[in-house]
Amino acid sequence: MKQIIITLCFSIVTMIGNTQEAKKILLLGGYLHVGNGEIMESAAIGIEDGTISFVKNSLAYTYKAEEWDTIIELKGKQIYPGFVAPNSTLGLTEIDAVRATRDFDDVGKFNPHVRSQIAFNVESKVVSTVRTNGVLMCQATPRGGFISGTSSIMALDGWNWEDATISKDDGIHLNWPSSMQGGGWWAQPAPKKPNDKYGERKREIIDFFQMAKAYSNEIDPKTIDLRLEAMKACFNGNKRVYIHANELQEIVDIIEFSTSLDIPFPVIVGGYDAHLVTRQLKDAKIPVMVVRPHSLPENEEDDIDHAYKLPALLKAGGVKFCIQNTGDMEAMNARNLPFLAGTAMAYGLSLEDAISSISLWSCEIMGINKNYGSIEKGKSATLFVSDGNALDMRSNNISLAIIGGNFMSTTNFQTELYHKYSKKYTK
Amino acid sequence: MNNSNLILKRTIVVFLAFISTVTFGQIEPNNGVPDSKVKMYALKNATIMVNPEKTIEQGTLLIQDDEIIKIGTLIKIPNNAVVIDCEGKTIVPSFIELSSSIGIPEAKSTKTGYSPQLDSYKKGAYYWNESIHPEVDANLLYSSPPNVNTSLIQKGFGFALTHQKDGIMQGKGAFVALGASDIHKQLTDWSDTYFYSLNKGKSKQSYPSSQMGSIALLRQAFYDAEWYQNTSDKERNLSLEAIISAMESTQIFYTNDKWEILRSAKIAREFNLNFNYIGSGNEYQIVDDIAALNSTIILPINFPKAYDVTNPYIARQIPLSDLKHWEMAPHNPRILREKGINLCITSEGHKTAKEFWEHVRQMINFGLSESDALNALTLEPAKTIGADDRIGSLDIGKKASLMIYDNNPFTDKAMLLESWSMGERKVHSEVPKHKIAGKYNLIIKDRHLPLTIKGEGNKFSGNISLISKKVSDGISKPDTIKLKTKVILDGNDITIQFSIHDSIWDGSTNLRGKINSNVGLMEGEGMIPTGEWIKWSAIKTEKSKSKKKTDKTVIPFDSMAVSWFPNMAYGFDSIPESQTLVIEHATVWTNEEDGIIENGTVIVKDGKITRCGKGKFSKPKGAIIIDGTGLHVTSGIIDEHSHIAISKGVNEAGQAISAEVSIADVVHSDDINIYRQLAGGVTAAQLLHGSANPIGGQSALIKLKWGYTPEEMLIDNAPKFIKFALGENVKQSNWGDFNRVRFPQTRMGVEQVYYDGFERAKAYRKAKDDFKKGIINEAPRVDLELEVLIEILESKRFVTCHSYIQSEINMLMHVADSMGFRLNTFTHILEGYKLADKMASHGAGASTFSDWWAYKFEVNDAIPYNAKIMSDQGIVVAINSDDAEMGRRLNQEAAKTVKYGGMTEEEAWKTVTLNPAKLLHLDDRMGSLKEDKDADIVIWSANPLSIQAKVLYSIVDGVILYDRENSHELEARNQREKARIIAKMLDSNSLGKKRTFVKKKKGHFHCNTVGEEESLEQNHH
Repeated sequence: MKQIIITLCFSIVTMIGNTQEAKKILLLGGYLHVGNGEIMESAAIGIEDGTISFVKNSLAYTYKAEEWDTIIELKGKQIYPGFVAPNSTLGLTEIDAVRATRDFDDVGKFNPHVRSQIAFNVESKVVSTVRTNGVLMCQATPRGGFISGTSSIMALDGWNWEDATISKDDGIHLNWPSSMQGGGWWAQPAPKKPNDKYGERKREIIDFFQMAKAYSNEIDPKTIDLRLEAMKACFNGNKRVYIHANELQEIVDIIEFSTSLDIPFPVIVGGYDAHLVTRQLKDAKIPVMVVRPHSLPENEEDDIDHAYKLPALLKAGGVKFCIQNTGDMEAMNARNLPFLAGTAMAYGLSLEDAISSISLWSCEIMGINKNYGSIEKGKSATLFVSDGNALDMRSNNISLAIIGGNFMSTTNFQTELYHKYSKKYTK
Repeated sequence: MNNSNLILKRTIVVFLAFISTVTFGQIEPNNGVPDSKVKMYALKNATIMVNPEKTIEQGTLLIQDDEIIKIGTLIKIPNNAVVIDCEGKTIVPSFIELSSSIGIPEAKSTKTGYSPQLDSYKKGAYYWNESIHPEVDANLLYSSPPNVNTSLIQKGFGFALTHQKDGIMQGKGAFVALGASDIHKQLTDWSDTYFYSLNKGKSKQSYPSSQMGSIALLRQAFYDAEWYQNTSDKERNLSLEAIISAMESTQIFYTNDKWEILRSAKIAREFNLNFNYIGSGNEYQIVDDIAALNSTIILPINFPKAYDVTNPYIARQIPLSDLKHWEMAPHNPRILREKGINLCITSEGHKTAKEFWEHVRQMINFGLSESDALNALTLEPAKTIGADDRIGSLDIGKKASLMIYDNNPFTDKAMLLESWSMGERKVHSEVPKHKIAGKYNLIIKDRHLPLTIKGEGNKFSGNISLISKKVSDGISKPDTIKLKTKVILDGNDITIQFSIHDSIWDGSTNLRGKINSNVGLMEGEGMIPTGEWIKWSAIKTEKSKSKKKTDKTVIPFDSMAVSWFPNMAYGFDSIPESQTLVIEHATVWTNEEDGIIENGTVIVKDGKITRCGKGKFSKPKGAIIIDGTGLHVTSGIIDEHSHIAISKGVNEAGQAISAEVSIADVVHSDDINIYRQLAGGVTAAQLLHGSANPIGGQSALIKLKWGYTPEEMLIDNAPKFIKFALGENVKQSNWGDFNRVRFPQTRMGVEQVYYDGFERAKAYRKAKDDFKKGIINEAPRVDLELEVLIEILESKRFVTCHSYIQSEINMLMHVADSMGFRLNTFTHILEGYKLADKMASHGAGASTFSDWWAYKFEVNDAIPYNAKIMSDQGIVVAINSDDAEMGRRLNQEAAKTVKYGGMTEEEAWKTVTLNPAKLLHLDDRMGSLKEDKDADIVIWSANPLSIQAKVLYSIVDGVILYDRENSHELEARNQREKARIIAKMLDSNSLGKKRTFVKKKKGHFHCNTVGEEESLEQNHH
């Protein structure tokens, strides 16, 4: 058996590329952030067939080099579980301004049957720039309508969407009507008014869910209704119901809605006002994918740091949450996810909680924590190594990334252009 | 306005008017003998508000024809006068409305459809732009509309200056006497008044698309008129001729916001004009600046209604600024008057007389004196339009236009009894002579019915108690039924009507009769259900108890209501002043040769840095000492590319070259993002024009002086800048398929726009030189656009160019080289790394994003290593925001240059401080911590590049404008203030006064935002 002992540096990992398929990998000596709040100052991590076979203190661990295909020394480095970008159009869009590249918003009000999985572009140039910052998975999420569609959780590497799929059809995305909604577009904005049609739209949603629930009780429906078929799993717990909402009125209505319809796994996405109802959310066991921390306050008199602080406020209120990134240029900005968590840390989260908020907690909320989200025995070897604190811009330098045991390229077309043009000027 | 001219003009007008009254009023033929007329009226025993200074009690007013000939208390009434007894009544001079469009048709657009309209579609020899139409003359458009006339009269107005409210130069007004019987009498020639605004109105022409464009267009039109006046050989232009006559007339400027008054005042100064301003109601927020203009302000008093705040979920979304304005608005007239500002009041915005008078009484209740209120409604507007020799008071010789009320309308609810217009009397209602409320014994034939009448004035209701026997469970019980009874009083006549259904009558009873209230008796005839014609009488048995009524609609004065600076969340109670500060034991990032100093000291005095370094310094007396142990001190962040604090449009997208517009004209200082960015350590910024055209507009260089005015925010003697742009935005690639009209639509076309612009500028410069040298006799027409292009050619104005693709960047450098100027800064410059060597040799700087890309096709090759590569080639590189959100954490963006390419921390930090200062040519005053530089300083909780860094203090010119701890107090104060005002609103709601809260969309300006509204679209930069 061929033995490679690598002292990590940029070029070597580049050489390995994403074609390397080592069966047994040993990571030695790095500072491990497990993802569940724990750390290990010097870890030994065994990876066999893509699965973590053990996590031990490397100082108390002796190994036989010949038992491993690859042994990687990580002394002085930081090891993190692969970060996850929930609720993202990443892989479904390439250039925001070019309509031909936008594949996230289809026609229709209720589109639970529209699935993101098959549109996910594994070769997206945007994706290639995101994983190099430690974000190794995303929840590819459709947009638009009342129910935008069904998301899937994807690895940011693969030959095609099939082998990039981590969790197929993990949930539907419901855009709760805004309690302050109005019409118009930006050049001719119509004013927003409270309660205008809010009740009516809410009723439409409730009606749809009641219809879907009744359908799901039918054992052998005579005609297949694609929409309602796609809704079935929402009631038996196999699909999450991600409900996008921010305002207080909406959040309390959603709590009532999910309880009365007995939805097993409701999730609030956004939750700008969620800190006001932490007790209710906690009691109802509704987690929150919190609004992008790099957002401006909604209202003039709101706490200037509100979005920075919201994760810590939810933590203090005992609400399960994770950080997501929807908003302006969200696909490209997914690479800044670590710094969103970093900002939340500056405003009250502990370092390990900040890490959990973009790894384990996201996976728990999306129901993939059995295999993903932390570096623990039995889980998928989906992790990365950074020279320093990955949540700080200055030290987020990824020298190694593994998804499901496969080495991933830590370069992208941007690093290539960097080298190409650097050479132009060194001639 | 030229005063002597005006006086001359007025004299002529008076003279002509005199002739017309003594000769023939009417030149039309009469059918038979003309109608007879009363020659003289005497209104006696009245309380007469003669003028704002003088009210007489028990006075008499003599009116002959349309004129007041005598007024006083001891006046002998001539025998030929018709005498009207006004005992207990109040006579008020008719009000004068200056902002009206009664009798004038609405303006219409010339175009439909989406495709851009570049030229004017208006037929005739007029100005090239449809929003400039000073030639529109309301005198030619006016027709008498009886209904609208009446509603103004109900409010107490006898005169109105009416015009077509549309466009930037709106045209000439017509001054009309409301209620006069004949249209020839209505339409006077007493005033020449022209109207302006900064709104383009119904014009669909592409230009102007922003407020700064409106300002530039208005200025250009004034210059054009000047040139037209002084040039002999020219094509005829009726619009310019109208502007020339407007210069000698009264001029009234519409504004939608307090800042627009200051903006138009700047234009007035430039052309030596005297504008009168129609305000918007928030002038109290900058009253000192308004007072300094010495202009007449015409105020609307349609104070905002209370929001419906019964639902707390909705109430919490109402911005504090709206709540505070609701509370302060009724104070506006008083606050302005206290500063000695000449006030007129317009009734605009009131549908009913009731609402209008409520607001009049409210502003008096809030401290405006009754005499000031009367003055603002009568004499001041008359003076404003130069008609105070005829109207505005009831002094002898003035027109007999007045209103008679049953009460003093300024203090109590009053009823309009009569309106007199130019000597013509119209009776609206009469004071009821009888107080009929009470209990009566109504006798009809031989039936006695107890009648109760309720009500007052002319409105009554009544009921009759009928006792019948009701049988239930075999027991008979007496039962009282109240019959609803209609009671109508008309002078001495009373009508009573009711229906009765019992064993005696079954049907309707109608009675009519006369009243003798002295003995409490009514009697007359009527018909009963049997069809009989009978006699009836009613004798009063009991008087009604009179209740003292208080006017609940008036909200009491509240001393808690004060305006903040700015009047919104996080505003200051008073403007903070510059401090003497000593920051010691801190880690000091000097950006100078000393680099980063541990345990350093920074001393600030009089807005400047007086000491910076290691070691011991003597501390100035009275200095505030800040212990910087564990803290980091830096110079303030400078955002080279920002679009905050801009009113109504960041892009003048109407033309490919719009060098004439300037962001500095439209800076406003009540954008909450100023405070938010201070909280992120930003102390100065370049507010750039957008990127919608190859040559955009001029920049504003500001300091983020929260609480100060726009003028104070602008950096003194700042270098001049202008925005250029290349690529997708200027060729309108992402604007939809109907936008394929404006040149250029390709990168090829963009190059030619520049050559064309600069060649025209050169020709213009030559013409100007030739005129100076006497080679040509007449000065060329001032061209605001080309003036700016000449500044660029002569390197007196620097260029910041929005750019992405290397080809076009290269092209523009060739254009500049051939024209002999240097491109100062390429902004965005995402492919700068591909031609950094060429940029360096041209001498251009770069201001870029740290890591943005993928938002449009032309940023496909953007790489985050861009800053590093360019920097390595010797280019001054800044990291900018172009985004209100990112603008408040530029320290994080700077830190990304450490990650991407490995800049040192010291160099990384300079990308948001010293380097932008260099690019803006402000590095002699800002950008580093050095003695004598401006004290723009930020104190951080940690290394500013670290993710943990928070701003503790932001200091601008030595003034602490952000203090993290104090900010939390302000936040709590915001909430208290909100709760206090909402409680007040709830009281108001319970009086039935409320309106639904309409949430404004939260938009922001980006480079590509077109139009006056902020964008909600995805950012395309």
